[in-house]
Amino acid sequence: MKVKYKIILSIVFSFIAIMTGVGLGSIKVPPSHIINIIGNKVFSLPLQADIQGTAALSIIWNLRLPRTLLAFLVGGAVAVSGSVMQSVLKNPLASSYTLGVSSGASLGAALIIVTGFTIPFLGVFTLPVTGLVFGLATVFSAVKFAAMMDKSLETNTIILVGMVFSLFVNAMLTLVTAMARDHLAQLTYWQMGSFSLKDWSNVIILFPLVLIGVILIQNFSKEMDIMTFGEDQAFTMGVDVHKVKWSLLSLSAALTGSAVAFVGVIGFIDLIAPHVVRKIFGSSHKIVIPMSMLFGGSFMVICDLVARTIISPSELPVGAITALIGAPFFAYVYFSRRKGL
Amino acid sequence: MLSLQNVNAGYKGTDVIFNISLKVKEGENLCIIGPNGCGKTTLLKAISGLIPHKGSIKIDGIDINEMKRADMARKIGVLSQISTIYFSYSIYETVLLGRYLHMKGRTFKEPSSKDKEYTDKCLKAVGLYSIKDKQINELSGGQLQRVYLARTLAQEPDIILLDEPTNHLDLKHQADLIDFLRDWSKYEGHSVIGVMHDLNLAIKLSDKVLVLDKGRMAAYGNAHEVISSNLLNKVYDMNITEFMVDSLKLWESLDMPYHPEPKRRIS
Repeated sequence: MKVKYKIILSIVFSFIAIMTGVGLGSIKVPPSHIINIIGNKVFSLPLQADIQGTAALSIIWNLRLPRTLLAFLVGGAVAVSGSVMQSVLKNPLASSYTLGVSSGASLGAALIIVTGFTIPFLGVFTLPVTGLVFGLATVFSAVKFAAMMDKSLETNTIILVGMVFSLFVNAMLTLVTAMARDHLAQLTYWQMGSFSLKDWSNVIILFPLVLIGVILIQNFSKEMDIMTFGEDQAFTMGVDVHKVKWSLLSLSAALTGSAVAFVGVIGFIDLIAPHVVRKIFGSSHKIVIPMSMLFGGSFMVICDLVARTIISPSELPVGAITALIGAPFFAYVYFSRRKGL
Repeated sequence: MLSLQNVNAGYKGTDVIFNISLKVKEGENLCIIGPNGCGKTTLLKAISGLIPHKGSIKIDGIDINEMKRADMARKIGVLSQISTIYFSYSIYETVLLGRYLHMKGRTFKEPSSKDKEYTDKCLKAVGLYSIKDKQINELSGGQLQRVYLARTLAQEPDIILLDEPTNHLDLKHQADLIDFLRDWSKYEGHSVIGVMHDLNLAIKLSDKVLVLDKGRMAAYGNAHEVISSNLLNKVYDMNITEFMVDSLKLWESLDMPYHPEPKRRIS
């Protein structure tokens, strides 16, 4: 099948995933009503008579739509970030988590949860902003330290240093958790990720961050293609490897950091989505980056739908669902490719 | 075109090559030979700017330390040994990457017709046009080496550096590659600088030969003036004539370089 048809199908798939995510739950709302509600809220179009005054209007607009869009943005962001990390570090198992984003963000969030500290002008966003700052600080410290150890910033050095930093920060997190047992449930829950109680303010803040991040990363698609063949090759083909590597690691970490800061740590999508996309579309980053956004986003929406409906009215942590579905799925995708199944 | 003056280079502050001075003119090919660890690859890395050097390396009179990365890549392309493929691309996509510098700033646009035409031309030149949509992880070592050669050609460099380019090739493809590179340099007025272990191929490709011994120039000059059994026996620390195949003996007995006439044009 031609690539453009695959892209069209992927867009349709994403649309269906979002519609399903928004439509299913304690109250089932058909796609036509969802579109009508969005049209009413965004373009002031008239509401159908059977929607007016119902709970569906509020549930869709105030709860499910922002939640589903946030899930899509977060899933897309971590998937794009994962595809960048895999290419830059030439390691199919690499992700921003490898460099300690989640550990750093978790530590930052834990400190806020335990101390109850609030930055006045940030209010409820103190927690995500602190998580983001700590996540990025961990990655930048790891890469900076790797650059000090190895000026050429070899991939293996970055991965190794990233793992060391990640383990160190995790140990600090364990200490904080051990000393603040009263907050144990809250800390654990944050580390498993959730889209519960997220509203439009989260979407409005995250949307421009993800959009700008993905566009900037897309701008490096040729460089990423070349760098997968090795950094020496890329250097001799005219790529400013050091600058590109720093830029991509930073952008990728910022994408994951932003996403994780809002909803907690959600794993596996950053690993799975790029592999699925490469399997379907090939390795060219011009396609891999936007399609990772679509597939990662859609997959996250589906996982969140499962998390909030499977034992309704209770909710499961979405991180547990992504891991439960993701781990065997990743094993299938990765090993079937290697064995040529 | 390329000149080196008293070049030292190495790794982590320790020099591996010492006082290398040479000149390569347009259309001239140079082979670097010598035993393992004598500094052949280090010299190539220094010329390509991959490692820092002392002394002077100039291309068209400009020191490479003063050249931007992109300008340098327009002058020098490197065909290195085959390495691990982490993510597979089609042959066409891989060769098109060689047009990177020519396509810069076109991230959100399709490659220009000129880029596509030149990519096709390079694919045809190495005989892979008919299978251009095949994935590179499905290719043999020889085919992959030709893909990388096409990608290096697509870069349109003035000089191609080769690091043991025939490692994965059978005899026929080794001869084909060397013929091809000779034609490319002679017809287009470019140069090839290659590190080779096979003396027969080195002789076939080169106008000049540099023999390195423990990082120093043991000999440098026209191939037929430089290579002699005595010198090689000394540098390789063995009786190399026992392992030498007929072409070298034949070549030694001739007054002219052992070079076939160029046959093909690339562009």
